[in-house]
Amino acid sequence: MTDLSELDRGAAPGAADPVKVLLHRHRELCERAVDPLEIAAGLEAHGITDRTAARFRHRDVFSLAEELYARVPRDADAATDGPAAPDTPAREGGGRRSVTVLLLPLLPGALCAASLIALTRTHGQTRLYAAAAGVLAVALALRAALRRGPLALPDHLASRSATGSWTCWLLAYAVLGDGLLRTAIAGGPDGLPDGTAGGDWPLSLAPLLALTLAVAPATWTAGLFLTHARRKLATSRGLEDFAASVRPVLLGAVALFLGTVAALVALCAPFLDTEPVSPAVLALAALLFVARLLTVHGFTHAPRVILVLTAAAQVLAPATVFAARLPGCGALGAPVEALTAAWGPTAVPVLTCGAGALTLLVHASRTLTRASAHLRPEQAR
Amino acid sequence: MRIGLLTEGGYPYVGGEGGVWCDRLVRGLDRHEFDVYAFSNGQAQEDAGWVELPPQVARVRTAPLWAAEEDGAVHGRRARRRFTEHYGELAAALCTAAEPGAAEKPGAAEADRFANALHGLAELARDEGGLVATLRSEQAVRALEHACRAPGARRAAREARVPDLLTVAGQLERALRPLSLDWYEEDGLGAVDLCHAASGGVAALPGLLARHFFGVPLLVTEYGVRLRTHYLTRPDASPPARTLLAAFHGLLTAETYRTASYLVPGNAHARRWQERCGADRAKLRTIYPGLDAAPFARVGEDRPGDRETREERDKRGKRERTDPHTLVWIGRVEPAKDLVSLLHAFAEVRAAEPGTRLRIVGRTSAPEGEAYLGHCRALAAQLFPDEADGPHAVGRNPVSFEQLGGPGAETTADVHAGATVTVLSSVVEGFPAGLIEAMFCGRATVSTDVGAVVEVIGGTGLVVPPRNPRALAEACVSLLRDPERRARLGAAARARALELFSVEQNVAAFHGLYLETVARTPVRRPVLDGAGDMQPFAAPAEAHVPGHWTEPTPRAVPTWAVETPEPVTETVR
Repeated sequence: MTDLSELDRGAAPGAADPVKVLLHRHRELCERAVDPLEIAAGLEAHGITDRTAARFRHRDVFSLAEELYARVPRDADAATDGPAAPDTPAREGGGRRSVTVLLLPLLPGALCAASLIALTRTHGQTRLYAAAAGVLAVALALRAALRRGPLALPDHLASRSATGSWTCWLLAYAVLGDGLLRTAIAGGPDGLPDGTAGGDWPLSLAPLLALTLAVAPATWTAGLFLTHARRKLATSRGLEDFAASVRPVLLGAVALFLGTVAALVALCAPFLDTEPVSPAVLALAALLFVARLLTVHGFTHAPRVILVLTAAAQVLAPATVFAARLPGCGALGAPVEALTAAWGPTAVPVLTCGAGALTLLVHASRTLTRASAHLRPEQAR
Repeated sequence: MRIGLLTEGGYPYVGGEGGVWCDRLVRGLDRHEFDVYAFSNGQAQEDAGWVELPPQVARVRTAPLWAAEEDGAVHGRRARRRFTEHYGELAAALCTAAEPGAAEKPGAAEADRFANALHGLAELARDEGGLVATLRSEQAVRALEHACRAPGARRAAREARVPDLLTVAGQLERALRPLSLDWYEEDGLGAVDLCHAASGGVAALPGLLARHFFGVPLLVTEYGVRLRTHYLTRPDASPPARTLLAAFHGLLTAETYRTASYLVPGNAHARRWQERCGADRAKLRTIYPGLDAAPFARVGEDRPGDRETREERDKRGKRERTDPHTLVWIGRVEPAKDLVSLLHAFAEVRAAEPGTRLRIVGRTSAPEGEAYLGHCRALAAQLFPDEADGPHAVGRNPVSFEQLGGPGAETTADVHAGATVTVLSSVVEGFPAGLIEAMFCGRATVSTDVGAVVEVIGGTGLVVPPRNPRALAEACVSLLRDPERRARLGAAARARALELFSVEQNVAAFHGLYLETVARTPVRRPVLDGAGDMQPFAAPAEAHVPGHWTEPTPRAVPTWAVETPEPVTETVR
């Protein structure tokens, strides 16, 4: 609390202005103080009492503090270039930890690629085991990757954001949906999927690979966005100012994410001889990315609604096709069939996910540009 | 009487600040019923559990101040507008507030503005559910920014940047968490006759609201002024944020002092701070904290000269002449206690009175205290060589460092029993409990003039300026050479301590103050039952004595009953 050398020893003998000596001794306290009471409290903590104040020709510590407060030179510009240091984001632990944070997001993608390779090399019973092991490994890796870093959910939000099941719906549609729609329009399917791309109900595993690969750029760009937003937060003067400067950062982050995902997938595709990735996967990736970004900033309502709506729309599309087979309901399937005829079966996920992603992006450009969204956890708590 | 005891990080929790005092109060007033409303200030405290509660504690309600409890209340458009209006008023009051403690007191209009905003927010929370999420939302930050940029705002407020606004909004949310509690119901704080806040600041906030909603009188005890604590422990924020937060705490304190029926400072120092922060002198009643005198009774009563025979007296006199004198220092070892100065003083004492010993008995202390203790040990070894009784005896140092609880120093009473004079050498001191213990033991004391020492010791001990080893040594020597004066001063000190600093006086003073407070508060008794009929015996007979019946009554009474005058206690006033 007190530095002993700082403890008051009264006025120096022979000093013409004893208060000046005191002011010099407690300069830091006086310059920091925002009002006289703060100086009074500080002086008392340094052992100055009313009897000491009497030596400075003051009635009590309060009036002595008032004189000190009035006499301390206050630089008019001192506050404008004030320290922004406490608001710069705290650097993550040691070097090892930051490397982990940087490379961990790559794990799901790598595991998924390995599983896909294993699937192409194996047959029969072994293939089933390989698939199960692959799913388990990727799920665990995803959990680990999303547990830390900028896409990790704060503790107090964990209970409120149950979007996991809806995300699984969307993933399932990405894998199975297009094949189902195509065969449904053609009159099928006649059996359950046999796990190959060439069967009666074909499934495509390329979207899974693309999405797991996308975890890494998602984490990196989210981190980039966070860092930039906090930097802007420290330097902007007003809330409008801040919103205006953060909006381009947000849009840039999303664009960068999409670009990186497309590039990654394009790079990986030749090695795994999967079909080229469709825009539907990009739309889904964008949707999931923005939803996660909103969720980790505490806006859990909108992402959940949009994810539910998108999943419902995607389920509805094949459902209408099947419903059209009922007598008298032929018109029900017409819109989806027309859509598929015009742009292929991927048109449904492109439209639904794209619309969802756009809606969320518009929402995010309004909510994530608020300063209150960037309150750090220790401040919020 | 039913008393609502409001505490923050204190009473029902084990080891809470001021918990012992509250416990003694509650146990001492076993004729009254206590409802304890407590804020806890950490997970560790909640895990530690409660002290054993006496049967007069009817109920305990707790709320964590350290964790935001969101109840998921979603506010509609109208509620949001109400929030923005009241929060904006609050922010405006902060931004235009005069500096707390400045010579010009905050105007009545400004205090009203703050109080109205606070009440508005509390009503909103009561009507629409918790404010935690809203207080942290963009709306709040926006209202804060608007207030900071408004004309007439203080310069420091105008300079606030976005991070400052966020800090202030976060801290305000923290401070205003009591508004969102569900304590303000008819069967909650509405049912008590009196709110007693065990400290100022946030703990008094429920009391303010109970006063606003139900007219429950409020009594605030401050053994340490919360505003001062805020200044000393403020977070390291930027100047604008600190300005706004200081303004908030200043206004909250002023509003507490304005609303409270009585303010109870624990000593003159707290009293001065309260007066400085706008407390009305007529409301101030100093009640000293009480210490349990029982453990010291044996040592204190063992006064020489009362019942002993002549032979015993001679023996004692001989023993006193031959036994070396012992100076005792007891307390927590830390730099503010200035043991260095004590050691230097002791060197001079030994020059005058060779053979005197010094016992330094430390309570368990923090790591920095350990370092200081090591420093003092080295100094003592340097100043005083070991000395032995004869050429064949093992020597020892005249200064002994001991731990409380060690051999020969089991309790403070034991330590004081072996003391010729008790010394206190602090340079910074609050309310010196150790000095009161010495007084209970009937020991003559020499202390430095810091904190509340002079107030406590009165004329029953010697007081010297701090950081003056020579004066300290001279005072000690004068007492060591004069056993009669020692005995006189010790007896006077014990009498004074028993009169002023015993638990009994503390409890009795609070009891009296409770009665006085309630006597001055109009009775809030429903005159009509649910059907709108007069309740039998609701209004006492003397209520029909014609009084000042023209005053508008705050109760909801039909026009034909408006002549019902106030109870007789009102006419006395």
